[in-house]
Amino acid sequence: MILTATLGLPMLGALVLAVSRRWTETTARLFAVGVSLLPVLLLAWAWLQFDTQGALFQFVEEVPWVPSLGMAYRLGVDGIALAIATMSALVFAASIAYPINTQNQPRQYYAWMLFLQSVSLGVFLALDLLLFYVFFDLSLVGMFFLIGRWGHGQAQHSAFKFFLYTFCGSLLLLLAFIGLYLSVEPHTFDMRVLIEQQPLAGAGVSAGLIFLALMLGFAIKAPIVPVHTWLPQAHVDAPGPASAVLAGVLLKMGTYGILRIPYSMMGETFARYALIIALFAVVSILYGALVAFGQGNLKRRIAYTSINHMGYTVLGIAVAGALFQDAVYAREMALIGATVEMVAHGLITGALFLICGSFWQRTEEYDLDSYGGLLRQAPLLATFAILASFASLGLPGLAGFVAEFHIFAGTFAVYPWLAVIGVLGILITAALFLQMLQKLFFGAMPQRWAKFDDLRPAEWGVLGVLSASFVIIGIAPQFLLTLIEASATLLVGAR
Amino acid sequence: MLWFVPLFPMLAAPGMYWLGKRLSARDSGRAVLGLMGAAVAVVTLLLASVALMGDWGGAYRWSSRIVLSVGMTPASAVFAIVVPLIATLIIAYSAYHESEPLSEGVPTRPPVRLVALLTAFVGAMELLVLAEDLVTLLIAWELVGACSWALIAHEWQEADNLRDAAWAFLVTRFGDLGLYIAAAAAFAGTGSFAFADLSQLDGWLLDVFVAGAVLAAAAKSAQIPFSPWLFAAMSGPTPVSALLHAATMVAAGIYLVIRLHAEMAAVAWFGPVAITLGLATALAGGVVAYLQRHAKKLLAASTSAQYGLMWLAVGAGFPGVALVHFVTHAFTKAALFLAAGIAERHAGSYSLNTMRLGRLLPGIAVATMVASLALAGVIPLGASWSKEEIITAAGHQASWLAVIAAIAGGLSALYATRFQLLAFGQGLHGPTKTAPSQPGHSSVEAGSLYLLSAGTLVLSLLWWPGVGNDLANLLSIQLPQTKLWELILSLLLVTLGIGAGFWAVRCEGSNQSRQSETHAAMANWFGLPALAERGIATFMRFSHGLARFDDRVVDTGLRGRGVSAAISFSHGLARFDDRAVDAGIRTSARFGVWLAKVSDRRGEGAFDGATSLLARGIDWAGQVARQVHTGQTHHYYTGIAAGFAVIFIILGIGALL
Repeated sequence: MILTATLGLPMLGALVLAVSRRWTETTARLFAVGVSLLPVLLLAWAWLQFDTQGALFQFVEEVPWVPSLGMAYRLGVDGIALAIATMSALVFAASIAYPINTQNQPRQYYAWMLFLQSVSLGVFLALDLLLFYVFFDLSLVGMFFLIGRWGHGQAQHSAFKFFLYTFCGSLLLLLAFIGLYLSVEPHTFDMRVLIEQQPLAGAGVSAGLIFLALMLGFAIKAPIVPVHTWLPQAHVDAPGPASAVLAGVLLKMGTYGILRIPYSMMGETFARYALIIALFAVVSILYGALVAFGQGNLKRRIAYTSINHMGYTVLGIAVAGALFQDAVYAREMALIGATVEMVAHGLITGALFLICGSFWQRTEEYDLDSYGGLLRQAPLLATFAILASFASLGLPGLAGFVAEFHIFAGTFAVYPWLAVIGVLGILITAALFLQMLQKLFFGAMPQRWAKFDDLRPAEWGVLGVLSASFVIIGIAPQFLLTLIEASATLLVGAR
Repeated sequence: MLWFVPLFPMLAAPGMYWLGKRLSARDSGRAVLGLMGAAVAVVTLLLASVALMGDWGGAYRWSSRIVLSVGMTPASAVFAIVVPLIATLIIAYSAYHESEPLSEGVPTRPPVRLVALLTAFVGAMELLVLAEDLVTLLIAWELVGACSWALIAHEWQEADNLRDAAWAFLVTRFGDLGLYIAAAAAFAGTGSFAFADLSQLDGWLLDVFVAGAVLAAAAKSAQIPFSPWLFAAMSGPTPVSALLHAATMVAAGIYLVIRLHAEMAAVAWFGPVAITLGLATALAGGVVAYLQRHAKKLLAASTSAQYGLMWLAVGAGFPGVALVHFVTHAFTKAALFLAAGIAERHAGSYSLNTMRLGRLLPGIAVATMVASLALAGVIPLGASWSKEEIITAAGHQASWLAVIAAIAGGLSALYATRFQLLAFGQGLHGPTKTAPSQPGHSSVEAGSLYLLSAGTLVLSLLWWPGVGNDLANLLSIQLPQTKLWELILSLLLVTLGIGAGFWAVRCEGSNQSRQSETHAAMANWFGLPALAERGIATFMRFSHGLARFDDRVVDTGLRGRGVSAAISFSHGLARFDDRAVDAGIRTSARFGVWLAKVSDRRGEGAFDGATSLLARGIDWAGQVARQVHTGQTHHYYTGIAAGFAVIFIILGIGALL
């Protein structure tokens, strides 16, 4: 019941907000923050209950729906899903709590956020392909409206491009899911059965096609170069909290999907193409970092670093899926790294996009060159931005390092050359973040920002929670690593 | 328990920052700040000493594969004690020497942030030298880099300082990549990151490991071709330079090769590479230091050169000798930097042509002279003992190496003499009085310098018969057997160097004309930075070009695939709108039909359908967009519902097939 409650409560909250027409902005906000915190608590509780020696999937709930078609309401988590879902719930709570101009539609805004929280968590908690697909698509709907209604700039156009692009990806997924469904006897959407039976092993062309469709669909969502171009524009025009959710949670659906479906259900096919996937990942790492460095727009720059970081994640998954039996510890290391990267990136980039939101609320300006010297004017903002930037560039003591170190150490044992090339990414990321910090906070301050306000308590409180979480993961990650390790060991076949 | 040694200063730093913000702007504030900072360093020193006596250790489990561990070896004990010792004096100095960067017109405040960062820096360095595994080492390795970024950027209102700080951080992080690779290679070979397991490493993985570690160490200790980052680091405040050069950042590089010498010497090429790097840097650094007219840059080049000599000793197979030279050099170089800082406060700039403060500051001049003589390698100062040992060590490999090392020693004598005479010589030509606008120095600053010089004097004990051997036993290190001819040659070259230094200063005195361009380029590491800047400019152009490419080609190309690959963004958008308007209501019907078709064509493969799918998707979504524009969003929900209905139909068909 705990997982159903995790999904259901925010959905219920969204419905309540939708019908309670008399609520003021403050009431709606407080209510939404309160409701959004419930999944965090529930998932934390599940985390404490999780048996690291137990089965892969735990807290399983199954309610038959259309038994003749093998459809059922199935929820359950392994350590990886639980870690990502908890992070997502936290990023949602933080984004909902982050103050924003709701344009006199507070109920609608918070309702959409809660709706999106519910369906996004659904993606990570679903154990049924169809359920996964439904949640996956509904998350697009939620984000479409958040960008379109509360965005700025060419918000409608960006929302539209985002929707169109990722919907194409999800249609591919649907086809592939149907293929998977038909490949198993008796037909079922149950992920556990599909993972256990590996139905398409040795299936030749059809396995290859289904695999391609899956990977393309998830690559668009992740996104991986060259199907990434929806991302920067969607980010630039989205409101800060929506960007935080988009980068922090929605992108994870792509990489989590790769891990949960092609990696877990089509191990043999995945191993055959692992090197190609790893190559795409390395291209994403370098390309994302280089293009980010070339951006003069604050939000676009951070958006492109997401491509770089998702590249690390995909690299880790690809390495984990490469069938080198003698390097099983290295593969496990890479898989742990990929998962930690998802968690770390969600928290760190979530914080960075919220910071972008704070900039926009104050100045409506993203051009880096127009800023400078804000360190004295806004010391709190500067502190959190510097902390998050260093976390994003992988400084030890912060979560990004734990992730990237695992990934590189694992990759090297399997594809040494890719590790050597990929590690260059952290140098470029360092350059681009240092330059960004310099342009924002150091040097001389232009006169026009003399009235620039520092963060308000609601803002720094939220950023403080996110920062604390990625600092804790950076220093004492064992609580996270133990949880992930329990599932990663099973998934790479070491136990 | 050993964790306390690095953690104490790291945790004390934020506390001190918080307390320090409440300090008064007057001198009492500086006194409190200096005392607090020095006290933290002293406690760290005491903790390290107790840890050494008590044989402390520590392990911290991250996961089943990664266990962070710290421990004490003789080499790490020496570093763990020297670092806070030097830092105590430097922190006390900086509380008086520096100020919080403020806009003009505001009274100066004690440098709280700087002192807090310096103590954190000490903590990171302690972690580095106590690390017993590659992950802990890498953590500390990158933390010292980040600390030095923040320290160099102390005067943050100057955008140039930030650029220099980033440059220093990036060059050393480039080296850090080597450590990432080395750690990965160790893991691939042994399944663990512990130093203790490194002996199991062999084959190409060992080569990779050593190459990565050498890269990391060379970048940190500013060996060729990474030397110029030390010049960039000169944008930082003087005490930062002193700590960086004497005990922390630069020392980290040599520490690594000393600590892992046994493992690294297992590959045949390590010795020759270390000797080549070290000798080349020692010679080139000597020439650069000789040509420099900027006091701090002269010292920076000398740092590269001296660490080059230490690399030479390690490459020749005597890491213990390098360890001793690190200690003697630490006192000498810290004293010289503090002296340069004091000189700047009187002369108003770091240009050596404007100093010659000997008559004005006789006490400072004498204290500096002790350090200068030690740097020059004059007997009986401690630095000369360790330098002679290095020459002997080189002689163990080949006599001609000893000769070259002795020449490098002669160059040290040359630039040390030049520094001393120009900065604190009897002012024949330059001004001898403090310009009235200059602040001068405080007694704490002078006291720190005196104590460091006294330390240099105490180290002369190394020449006392028997002390060397006792030390070797204590640290369980090997010392080479001294050969008489090498000692004589080396002393001859030192004398020659000092003489040449006098001569050079006289020439400079009579010829104050501006440096020629070649001279300036050579004094700036033979134009290496200019080369690097060109490289960076190219890189930035490349990334901007790539960003444009990404906007125009990749985005448009993908968008256009359904329409036409070549049309521009706006053109595409226009057609897009047309289609959206045209599409109208019938699209939903077409969408349903199309979905059915897809299920029909399942056998032909999904990829075939993908292209047409995109075009159809555009049509369908175009309709949605239109509805959004007209505000009829409920149509959209209908569409979604219809979509699901279609999905279920397909599923039904699929199930029946």
